[in-house]
Amino acid sequence: MASKFWTQAGASDSDEEEEQSEYEDEIEDAGGDPSAADAKNRYLRATDTDSDDDDGQKRVVKSAKDKRFDEMTSTLEQIKNAMKINDWVSLLESFDKINKQLEKVMRVTEAVKVPNLYIKSLVMLEDFLNQAMANKEAKKKMSTSNAKALNSMKQKLKKNNKQYEELINKYREKPESEEEADDDEDEDADDDESDTFAEDVNAMSDEDEEEDDGKDDDQAEGEGGWEKMMSKKEKLMDKQFMKDPSEISWDVVNKKFKEVVAARGRKGTGRFEQVEQLTFLTKVAKTPAQKLEILFSVVSAQFDVNPGLNGHMPINVWKKCVVNMLVILDIVFQHRNIVVDDMVEPEENETQKGADHEGPVRVWGNLVAFLERIDVEFFKSLQSTDPHTHEYVDRLQDEPMFLVLAQNVQEYLERGGDYKAAAKVALRRVELVYYKPQEVYDAMRKLSEQTEGGDNSDEKAEEIRGPPAFVVVPEVVARKPTFPESSRTMMDMLVSLIYKHGDDRTKARAMLCDIYHHALLDEFSIARDLLLMSHLQDNIQHLDISTQILFNRAMAQLGLCAFRVGLITEGHGCLSELYSGGRVKELLAQGVSQSRYHEKTPEQERLERRRQMPYHMHINLELLEAVHLICAMLLEVPNMAANTHDSRRRLISKTFRRLLDISERQTFTGPPENVRDHVMAATRALTKGDFTKSFEVIQSLDIWRLLKNKEGVLEMLKSKIKEEALRTYLLTYSLSYNSMSLEQLMNMFDLSRAQTHSVVSKMMINEELYASWDQPTECVVFNDVEYSRLQGLAFQLTEKLSVLAESNERAMESGGGGGMDLPMRRREGQDYANAGGGGGKWQDNYNQQGGRQGGGGGRSGGYGGGGRSGQGGGRGGYNRGSQVRGGGSRYQDSSAYGGARRTASSAVRGSQMDGSTRMVSLNRGGHP
Amino acid sequence: MATYDLTPRIAPNLDRHLVFPLLEFLQEQQMYPDEEILKAKIELLNKTNMVDYAMDIHKSLYRTEDVPQDMIERRVEVVARLKSLEESAAPLVAFLQNPSAVQELRADKQYNLQMLNDRYQIGPDQIEALYQYAKFQFECGNYSGAADYLYQYRALCTNSERSLSALWGKLAAEVLMQNWVVAVEELNRLKEIIDSKSFSSPLNQVQSRIWLMHWSLFIFFNHDNDKTQIIDLFNQDKYLNAIQTSAPHLLRYLATAFIINKRRRSQFKDFIRVIQQEQHSYKDPITEFLACVFVNYDFDGAQKKMKECEEVEDGNGSTMPLRDEFLKNARLFILETYCRIHQRIDMGVLAGKLNMDYEDAERWIVKRIRNSELDAKIDTETGTVIMEPNHPNVYEQLIEHTKSLSGRTYKLASQLMEQSPAQAAR
Repeated sequence: MASKFWTQAGASDSDEEEEQSEYEDEIEDAGGDPSAADAKNRYLRATDTDSDDDDGQKRVVKSAKDKRFDEMTSTLEQIKNAMKINDWVSLLESFDKINKQLEKVMRVTEAVKVPNLYIKSLVMLEDFLNQAMANKEAKKKMSTSNAKALNSMKQKLKKNNKQYEELINKYREKPESEEEADDDEDEDADDDESDTFAEDVNAMSDEDEEEDDGKDDDQAEGEGGWEKMMSKKEKLMDKQFMKDPSEISWDVVNKKFKEVVAARGRKGTGRFEQVEQLTFLTKVAKTPAQKLEILFSVVSAQFDVNPGLNGHMPINVWKKCVVNMLVILDIVFQHRNIVVDDMVEPEENETQKGADHEGPVRVWGNLVAFLERIDVEFFKSLQSTDPHTHEYVDRLQDEPMFLVLAQNVQEYLERGGDYKAAAKVALRRVELVYYKPQEVYDAMRKLSEQTEGGDNSDEKAEEIRGPPAFVVVPEVVARKPTFPESSRTMMDMLVSLIYKHGDDRTKARAMLCDIYHHALLDEFSIARDLLLMSHLQDNIQHLDISTQILFNRAMAQLGLCAFRVGLITEGHGCLSELYSGGRVKELLAQGVSQSRYHEKTPEQERLERRRQMPYHMHINLELLEAVHLICAMLLEVPNMAANTHDSRRRLISKTFRRLLDISERQTFTGPPENVRDHVMAATRALTKGDFTKSFEVIQSLDIWRLLKNKEGVLEMLKSKIKEEALRTYLLTYSLSYNSMSLEQLMNMFDLSRAQTHSVVSKMMINEELYASWDQPTECVVFNDVEYSRLQGLAFQLTEKLSVLAESNERAMESGGGGGMDLPMRRREGQDYANAGGGGGKWQDNYNQQGGRQGGGGGRSGGYGGGGRSGQGGGRGGYNRGSQVRGGGSRYQDSSAYGGARRTASSAVRGSQMDGSTRMVSLNRGGHP
Repeated sequence: MATYDLTPRIAPNLDRHLVFPLLEFLQEQQMYPDEEILKAKIELLNKTNMVDYAMDIHKSLYRTEDVPQDMIERRVEVVARLKSLEESAAPLVAFLQNPSAVQELRADKQYNLQMLNDRYQIGPDQIEALYQYAKFQFECGNYSGAADYLYQYRALCTNSERSLSALWGKLAAEVLMQNWVVAVEELNRLKEIIDSKSFSSPLNQVQSRIWLMHWSLFIFFNHDNDKTQIIDLFNQDKYLNAIQTSAPHLLRYLATAFIINKRRRSQFKDFIRVIQQEQHSYKDPITEFLACVFVNYDFDGAQKKMKECEEVEDGNGSTMPLRDEFLKNARLFILETYCRIHQRIDMGVLAGKLNMDYEDAERWIVKRIRNSELDAKIDTETGTVIMEPNHPNVYEQLIEHTKSLSGRTYKLASQLMEQSPAQAAR
C-alpha cells in the first residue's frame, strides 16, 4: 500500500525515485502508523455517511486533518528553532520528519497539491542552507557531526526540492521573469519526461535505482552538483536557442553536441537526460547531415538507457528508438549524397555541408548494427514479459513497427548495393516471420494496417508540442509495412536474397527458418530436401548454440509435419533424437529442465535463460510429445510382436520402450491423465489388436485441436492404426492359424480389400510373415517354418560366432586389444544377455571377455563415451539433439562419407557404426 | 498423349542442334500441329547459322516463295563471316590437311606449339581461329567438319576451359552425326573431366552433369548394346543427386533402363526407394508402375500403369525402339512379384494381369517354367498355376551363415602369426 502510494504520488522524476528508495525503509519503520491512520480514515469515511452518529465523528474528522497539519506546524517550529541555534543534526531529523508528515497529510487530504506549509519550510531550509554554505567560517567552526549533517542535508534537500521546484518558485513569488520562463521550460520538459518515462521508471527494477543511488553517494558534494549544473546549463542553452533561432549556428550546435556526447558513460550522467538533450539538439540541428549525426547518437544513447545484459530496454524508449531510426532513414532517403558508413572516421566538419552540398557527405553510423540491437531488445523484452498478460500481447503488436523499420533499412541497403548487410537485415525479418502459420501472418498483416495510423497521430501530437525543428524531415519512408499476400511469398523473397548474398551463418539460419516454414505449411518433401541438400545436419555441431536451437526447432517442426502428412517413420526419425535425452525443453529453449545429476552454476543458468524462446514462438510440447510417442507406438508395436522371441531384439525407440516398461510395471493402471498415459493405454489396446479402443484413447487427447487439419490427421491416424493393428495381429497369431481369408481380415480391421492385400503382401515380401496367397480362394496360407529347438539354438550359435569373429577382427585391427568401443559392445552384450535360451555358460564367458577387453581398451572406450556426451553442461544437449537424421538417406554423400571414415580409425568406429545402424533402420522404415 | 511428353523439359538442357532430332520425331508422331513445330524450328534456327534451312522451313510453313528480308541479310552476314574465319584459320587448316606435316606433331603439346610457331608461323591466334572456325562450321550444320577441327583443336589447345567446350562441341557433333561409338568415347572423356575438375561452384558442376546426362540419352538409347551404361552413369550417387535436385524427369529413362535390364537387381532396390522419395516431385506412368509393383503391391494398378506406359513409350523418341522389350520385361516384373507371394493362382486372373489372353499366357508361363525362370507347375484341371514352395533349408542356412567364419578366423590367425614373430624379434 505504502509503496503504491509513493509511485502514484511520484513520479515523474528519477531523482524522486531515488528518494523513494531512500525513504522506503523509513516508511516501513514507521510501520503501522500510516496504515493505521489509513484504516481509521477509511473507517471514518465509511461512517461518515452513517447518519446515526454525527457530532463526535465530524469532530474526529476535523481533528484528524488538523492533527496532521498541527504536527507539521510543530515540526516547522522545531526547524525554526534548530535554525536559530544552527543545529544541523536536529534540523536533519526534523526534515525527515516533515517529509513523513507530508505523506500523511497528503493521504488525509487526498490533495494533489502539496500544502503551502511544507513548501514554506522547504524554502526556509533552502535559504538557510545557502546562507550556511556561504558562511565558510561558520562552517569550519562546526562540530564534525554537525558538518556531516549539513552536507547530507544539502544533498537531500536538493533532491527533494527538485520535485517541488515549481511550487517553491511560486511561493517565493519574486519577479524573476527569467526563472519563470525557465520554469515553464522545465515544466515542459518534466511533462514530457513524465509522459514518456513514468511507466518505465516504475517498471525499472529497484536495482537500477540503487545503483544510481550508490553512484550518487560515492560522489563528493561537489560532484553531486553536476547533474544540476548540467540541467541548468541545458536550460541556459535552451534559452539561448529559444531566444534567437536565427543566431544558432552550426558551430554552436556542434559544440554542444560534442559536449553532450563526451559526457556519455561518465559517472553521474543521467542516461535519460542525455537522451533528452540529444533529442533537443536534433531539433536545432542546422544541416541534415548534422541532424543525422545527432540522431545516431540519440539512438545509441537510447541503447545505453538500460545497462547490463539481462534487462531489456524500456518499451517506450524502444518505440522512440524505432521512430528515431525511421527519421534517420527519412533523411538518408531524401538526401542521397549522405553516406552512412562506419569504416572511416569522417572529417571534423563534414556535417557542416548543407543539404544542397554536392558530392558525398560521410556520416558515421551503422544501420545494421542498430537494427540488430533493436531486434535483440525486442526479443529480450518478450522474453522477460509474462506471456499470459495483456502486456505481452501489446508488446507483440509492436512487431509490425520493427518490420517497417527493417524493410526500409533493407531497401536502403539494397539501393546502396550493400547486399551483404541487406541479407543480414533480411534474416532479421525472416526470423520474425518464419514461425508464423498463414493465419497468424494474416492477423499481423491486418494489425499493421489498422494500428499504425493511430500511432502516427500520437507521434505527431508530440512533435507539435516541442519547438519546431530547423530541419524539417518529411516522412519519405513508408510507415506501414507492406506484406505480400502469403507468408510463403515473403519468405521466398527474403530467403532468396539471403542465399545469394549472405554469409555462412546468415545462410544457415535462413535455411533453417526456410525449412521450418515449409514444414509449417505441410510441405514435408521440400523441407526435407532443403535440409538434406544443405548438409546442415553434418556440421550443425560447429555452429553457435542459438543456431543449434533453431535447428532443433526446425527438426521438431519437420517431425510434426511428417506426422501430419502421414509419414510415420520419417516423423519418428526426426523426433526420436530430440527425445532421447529427456531434455526437450532445453533443446528447444522452451524452459529449463532440472537435472538431477548435476547442478548448474548460476552463470550457466543465466546463459540458458537468455536463450529462451519467447512464448509465442513455442512449439507445443504436449503435441510434440504425443506425436513422438504415437509414431513410436505405430512402429514399435508390430516390431515387438514380430520379435517377441527373437534373439535379435531390435529396438526402434528406446524412449518408448522404457516408458512402456514403466507402465507395465504398475500394479494398477488408472484412467489416462497425461499424454504419456494416453499413448500407453492406446499401446496396450493396439497390442491386443483392438484398434478401435486404441484410436479412441488417442482421439480423446485434447491437443488435436491445435492442428489445423484436425479431421484429416485423425483420419490418417485411424487408418495407420488399423494397418498396424492388422500387422500386429498377423505377427502375433499367424502361428496359431493355418489359413485366413482376406474377407475375414478385411472385416476384422475395417480395411479395404486393396489395403489389406497390400499390407499382407508387403509383409510376405519382406519375409516378416511366412505365408503366401492362395489366389482362387483369397486366403492367406501360412507356411510352417517353425524351427525345432535344436535348429533355433544352432542359429543363435552361428550368430554369436559371427559376433565373436567380428570382435576379434576389430581387436586385431586396432592393434592388439585397444580401440574397443564400449557403447557398442555393451549393447551387444545386453542383446545376448537378453537372448535367453541355453548357453548360459557361453554368455558368462562372453561377458567376461567383453569386460576384459573393454578394460583393455579403456582409453579409446573413454574417448568414445566422452565424445558423445562429454560436451559438458547444456552444450552437450544441443549437440546430441543436432545429430538427428532426417528420414530417408537420400543424399548418399553423407553415407559415403561415413564409409570413408570407416577405414580411418577404429576408435571412432562405435559412433560411426551407430550411424550406419541408424541408416539401416531408416532404410527399413522407408521400405515396408 | 502429349501430357507425358518430356520434350519441353529436356530441351533446355540440350544444345540447339540437338533439339532438332526431337522436333523431327515429334513431327513424325503428329503429337502437335505441324505449324507449331515448324515455328519452333525457325525459332531454333534463328540463332544458328543454318540460314538456308530456315528459309526452306519458312517457305513450307507459309507456303510462299518469299523470304523475309532479315533472313536474307543474315545469310549474307553469315557467309561473310564464314569467309573471314576461313581466311584466318587457313594456315592451320592447310597444315592439318597436309599428312606429312601432321606426322611431325608429337604428344608433347608445348613442343607442337613451338614447332608450329617456328616452322609454319602458326601462333596462338591461328589456333584460336581454328576454334572459332570449327564452332562456326558447327553452327552452320557442317558437323563432320566441326568434329574434325575440334579434335585437332583439342590436340593443340592449352586452355582447359576452351578444351572443355571443344569437347562438348565434339560430343554434340558426333551425336548429330550418329557416330555412337565415338560419341561414347567422348562422353566418357567428358565425364572424367567433369568429375575431376574443380568447378567454381557446385551448382555449375551439377549443371554440367545434367547436361551430360541429357546428351547421353541420345547415345544410350540409340547405341545398341549399351543399356547397362545408362544405369552405370545415372545411378552413380553424384549423378543421382543431380537428377533428384534438378532434373527428376530423367528418372523415367533410368526406370526404363532398369526395367529392361534385369541384371541390376542390387541397385534396383535403392532405385525403388529413390522413386518413392521423388513421388511428390515427379511422376509418370513408368515410375508409377514401379511404385505399384514394388511399393504398394497393387497389381491391378500396375496393370493399368502398364497400359499407360505403352502410350508413353510411343511418344518418346529415344525409348521408342525399346518398346517391346520394355513391355516384356515389365510383364515379367509383375509376374515375378506376383508369384512370390502366391502359392496358387488362377490362370485366367494371371492372364488378365499380364495383359494377355489365356492361351498366350499359358504358353508364356510354360516357357518361363521350361527356362526355369519360374518354379511352378500348371494344374490344367483346376486351371491354376501352383508355385513350388521354396523355403531355404535350415541346414543350408546354417552353412551359409558359418561358411565365411572359418575363412575369417584363418585370416585373423595368419595376421597374428605375422605380427608375433615381429614382436618376438624385438
